[in-house]
Amino acid sequence: MKELLEHIAYCIEYGKINIQSPFPPDMKGKKGADEYTKEALDAGVSPHKVLTEGLMVGMDKVGKKFRENKVFVPQVLMSAKAMNTAMEHLMPFFTSGDITPKGTFIIGTVFGDLHDIGKNLVAMMLKGNGWKVIDLGMDVAADKFLDTLHAHPDAVVGLSALLTTTMSNMQQIVERIREEKPSTLIAVGGAPVTKEFCDKIGADMYAPDPQGLLEELETAC
Amino acid sequence: MSENQETMTGKTRIQMAMRRKKTDRVPWVPFVGVHGGYLVDMPADDYLRDSNAIIAGVDKAIDLYQPDGIPVVFDLQVEAEALGCHLQWAKDNPPAVVSHPLADGIGIADLPELNPGSGRIPVCMEATSILRKKHPDIALYGLITGPFTLALHLAGTNIFMQMMESPDEAHTLMEYCHGISCNMASWYMEAGCDVIAVVDPMTSQIDPASFEMFVAPAVTKLFDMVRDRNKLSSFFVCGFAQQNVPAMAACKPNNVSIDENIPLSFVRETAEEHQISFGGNLKLTSVLSMGSTKEVEMHTLETLEEGGDTGFILAPGCDLVMETPIENLQAVTRVVSDPYHREFVKTLQAAPVIEEVQDLSERWQDDKVIIDVITLDASSCAPCQYMVEAMELASRPYGNKLQCNEFSIKNKEGLRMMKALGVKNVPVTVMDGEILFVSQIPPAREIEKAIQKKLAAKNLL
Repeated sequence: MKELLEHIAYCIEYGKINIQSPFPPDMKGKKGADEYTKEALDAGVSPHKVLTEGLMVGMDKVGKKFRENKVFVPQVLMSAKAMNTAMEHLMPFFTSGDITPKGTFIIGTVFGDLHDIGKNLVAMMLKGNGWKVIDLGMDVAADKFLDTLHAHPDAVVGLSALLTTTMSNMQQIVERIREEKPSTLIAVGGAPVTKEFCDKIGADMYAPDPQGLLEELETAC
Repeated sequence: MSENQETMTGKTRIQMAMRRKKTDRVPWVPFVGVHGGYLVDMPADDYLRDSNAIIAGVDKAIDLYQPDGIPVVFDLQVEAEALGCHLQWAKDNPPAVVSHPLADGIGIADLPELNPGSGRIPVCMEATSILRKKHPDIALYGLITGPFTLALHLAGTNIFMQMMESPDEAHTLMEYCHGISCNMASWYMEAGCDVIAVVDPMTSQIDPASFEMFVAPAVTKLFDMVRDRNKLSSFFVCGFAQQNVPAMAACKPNNVSIDENIPLSFVRETAEEHQISFGGNLKLTSVLSMGSTKEVEMHTLETLEEGGDTGFILAPGCDLVMETPIENLQAVTRVVSDPYHREFVKTLQAAPVIEEVQDLSERWQDDKVIIDVITLDASSCAPCQYMVEAMELASRPYGNKLQCNEFSIKNKEGLRMMKALGVKNVPVTVMDGEILFVSQIPPAREIEKAIQKKLAAKNLL
């Protein structure tokens, strides 16, 4: 049983999706996250355990390697794809209540900004870490964040920006959220964003990478 | 302007630096993109679609910043747009690609054929031809979208997974993008560009093995083609791409240019190893866009010191933020092109901080006019020496009615006086506390006029 969880974690860490997947080359023809997750659930491993001791372990490892520049976007995307495949098997247990998400995270790239690679990586990492993620996409206005926030009042909001010029839009969204729902936790991130900027605009959390955000969320929530 | 500068044109300076040959000073290339629109008071979306506006913007930048080289157009969406990607335009940024035809079921063979008349390519080439004629002594950079960034525009983030799951397809796409890059490079060279800059920021997102496998073959062939035509090439990357810098250098461009995410010293060493030139990495936002001129000057000096004098080209890390203050870029120009000003900044950097502002109220007197010349040090700075001499000469006929002093900022007394008088540059002449002549030595007639005016105000004539 422990071995199955280790296989899941390993497949996610190295982005092995399923038996058909040619990547990584040294695992060609071998089972992937898809098969091992199904096997673990069939063998009676609790869905919660599959999530926390399989998927999350793998994503945590890849998150750390990404932070240390040991792997890059393609490898993280492959890990995320493996994780999504495994997650398909777990979805019914989220719906039934057997697994409870750590919380809800509403994420989007702020209006005026059409860059989403960083935002997508954060969304994937959070999903793989047991968060329910509501991805509003790119070019998202304050109203859309607020509407979603009203439907999910306890959610944390994550704002992403790549352009220096859209950092001011980030500030406007933070101000609107503070006016209407002052207790909301707000995280900001993106290439030009700094901790100093986060403090200046009154956001609560900043991290330079997805793993850092996970750690911030662990402390704050 | 110093004597040295007159001996070498900007274009020659760039050509020599790119070949790691000695130059009279480090060349400077401001990456003016949408900032050109700011200079001619035009939003980015109009500017980048109008060759006359681009010509006017680049003209203005050349006039204001005295660069050695300059890009004609800095917009990494030109090729993508011509190949059918939809763009979302902005007033203060280059446009963004919002649709990826290859991700929407269109095949490579179905993409529109790229020709010199496609999309905004005529705008770019027309601007290049005219700027070439107007500025024969400046190195013109033709910027083309790097093949990996173009692949990402065309296929979206699918390309990342395609590299892992179906490498043959990824290779086919990269080969196609290489063809597009070669066409663009040829057209820019025919229109008169001296340097082909391949800008491939998305390579910052991949590992060295993927870079070597998918990007290196395409760009190496491109740089070979540019070299065969006796032109120069540069490989730009923005973002944290340190892992790929050695592989970029191995593609044999003449120059590798990077931004503030990568230490310049690392790139300098890599460039030395590969015997190529390198450039960068002035901080775009925190200093050039948001810093004071003093911070810009200090930062420029530090960057110049880190870059050294062999094969280094001073440039911002990437495309300048549209509203970068003009005075900040002029501050870069001052430090890079004026050795005395560089020495001044260096002296101030090393100087002790003077906290208190000296009270000068007792200094001014009714029976004389006091002339203070603040210098770097008249013995080692020629313009300082000429200014001191000019003031002494002009004062002589007035005897005790004038008192002429020199204060060198190389000592504390000079620094205190500089602060008290509110002086920002040297050499400078101050009469009775009023800053009158900055940097330039005025003609004797003007000095005389200023002295007469001051004396008349005290009824001493």
